[in-house]
Amino acid sequence: MNNNMDYVLDVKNLSTSFISDRKEIRIVKNVSLRLRRGTTLAVVGESGCGKSVTVHSIVKLMPKNAKVSADHVIYRSAKDGKEYRLDQMEPFGTEMRKLRGAEIGMVFQDPMSSLNPVYKVGDQVAEGLIQHTGMSKAEAQKQVLDMFRKLGIPDPESRISDFPHQFSGGMKQRVVIAIAMICNPDIIIADEPTTALDVTIQAQIMELMKSLQVNDHKSIILITHNMGLVAEMADEVCVMYMGRVMEFGSLEDIFENPSHPYTQALLRSVPVLGLAEGQELGTIPGITPNPADLGPGCEFADRCPFCQDRCRQKDIPRFEVSPGHYVRCLKFDSFQEVD
Amino acid sequence: MLSFIGKKLLQMIPMLLLISFIVFGGLQLMDIDPISYMVTPDMAASAENQEALREQLGLNDPFVVRYFNWVKDLLTGNFGYSIINGTSIANIVRTRLPATFELAIIALILSSVIGIGIGILSAIRQNGIIDYVGRVFAVLGQSIPQFFFGICMVQIFAIKLGWLPVNGRTSPGASGLGDAIVHLVLPVLTMTVAMCAVLMRYSRNTMLDVLNSDYIKTARSKGIPEWKVYIKHGFRNAMRPVLVILCFRLPMLIGGSVVIESVFGWPGIGSIITQSVVSGDYPVIMVTTLMVAAAILVASFLVDVLTAALDPRVRLGE
Repeated sequence: MNNNMDYVLDVKNLSTSFISDRKEIRIVKNVSLRLRRGTTLAVVGESGCGKSVTVHSIVKLMPKNAKVSADHVIYRSAKDGKEYRLDQMEPFGTEMRKLRGAEIGMVFQDPMSSLNPVYKVGDQVAEGLIQHTGMSKAEAQKQVLDMFRKLGIPDPESRISDFPHQFSGGMKQRVVIAIAMICNPDIIIADEPTTALDVTIQAQIMELMKSLQVNDHKSIILITHNMGLVAEMADEVCVMYMGRVMEFGSLEDIFENPSHPYTQALLRSVPVLGLAEGQELGTIPGITPNPADLGPGCEFADRCPFCQDRCRQKDIPRFEVSPGHYVRCLKFDSFQEVD
Repeated sequence: MLSFIGKKLLQMIPMLLLISFIVFGGLQLMDIDPISYMVTPDMAASAENQEALREQLGLNDPFVVRYFNWVKDLLTGNFGYSIINGTSIANIVRTRLPATFELAIIALILSSVIGIGIGILSAIRQNGIIDYVGRVFAVLGQSIPQFFFGICMVQIFAIKLGWLPVNGRTSPGASGLGDAIVHLVLPVLTMTVAMCAVLMRYSRNTMLDVLNSDYIKTARSKGIPEWKVYIKHGFRNAMRPVLVILCFRLPMLIGGSVVIESVFGWPGIGSIITQSVVSGDYPVIMVTTLMVAAAILVASFLVDVLTAALDPRVRLGE
């Protein structure tokens, strides 16, 4: 049990499908992941691989045509030491709302559109705090000021009553982070928090998130397709392709001993400084298949250089190649199979 | 905000002058000779008499002089006289405008409350029962011509069932609130249905757009209750485009109720406009056209002020 308490979030076999034109299309299939308390888990993969859908399914912020199922989604609160079964809660019911914002904060991709244009930023940050603690507006404003200072927003006393359009992109993202942080949640889910920002601002925002994790002992799920960010930020990495976790392991496992052919290909395609002249950047042959047309077997089979007939026959299980390092590939079928 | 309103008000003055110039000039181009309406046929025979009358009325003055005389008269409250029956236009406006306003304002309030309310509800419960019924109603309301709907209503409720009066604003000899209300029901209903349909569709679509935006997701991620998400974060943003539609319905309700007023024999401005156009009563045309233009200006002023009140980007961008 004590061992279990280390994992602030424990997701087992999460699947999400969308109903479109009366057809059910599976976007995320049997995703299992665990977030260790006080660490950063990076979820990586190309666009459309189901990274965002996975985390949005966890916090139940899904459109109405989505169907989510899971063996379990457990959140273990450090505040009251209780376990919460997120998978059994109503998406917009009281229980779930009590956790959202208060214990699980979210930072979204595009700060330009994540803030309501018609309200002052201070009020938008205070809103969650007032909701969860019932404190007065004046008290909440004080905490918002502290948070703005902590996040490095200059001149917070006057900026607090500015509107979003008066902020730059990087400052807006700080406000969004303030919204996520204001109730002091255990988990912060950051869905590509820097994709819409320019590079220098990206570095500042990531440093800020790293310091929140180290100093305030937050657990972070970072969704990204930027391998550089992963290398800097992550403790553990979850590689996704076509809605499945292909490989899961510590940062060292993934970067020094990438085992799944997809992970290997992904890492080869990352541009690095000091690429030899004439050396070509690796690409992954073929195109991403349409999730509606996927057959049985490995999702990566069509693009995999090691593909064999048996890869296309049935679902590929997870193999634990070293403690905590899981790979979904038959190349490793000599290792222990785990569910 | 106050300086914003002041500036917008000041901007209306040159606009009004320009519009009045165009109205005046446009009617001059129509080459209506008012004299021919004013004099009896035997007087018309004498060119001298006609010329004397022209001189006396100032019709021989240069165009610009006549324009300024007209504007000066307008500003002093002298709207001129109908050339058909000689009644004072100021008087016509004074008796007719309240009737038009009564109809327009009641229809406007009813249709905004019902139209926006149902529109928002159908967006929240998309593909629910309210949404489905609302959509059918909106298509019907927009596609059935107002006059036809009005005639049907009169047929059913006034003639067949005899529940409501056929036309007019009051019954001869009767007075009191009850009598006024029964006369209002059918014209108000007819106007409301069409407007309601537009507002319903529009507010549903803008609300759907807003509910798909990222800041709604942010609001939900804070854990606030759904009704707060809808009202505080959704509604206010969805209302900006709807208000534009709503405000620009104002002049249409005043000048454009021509059809409704003739179907229901409603003694308002709309029926005066038709009459004066048919009979070439140009002083009346000028004044009523100017009034409709002024109403449009007021509407766009309202749009500016309300948008600014709702959206800080407009307010602070100035």
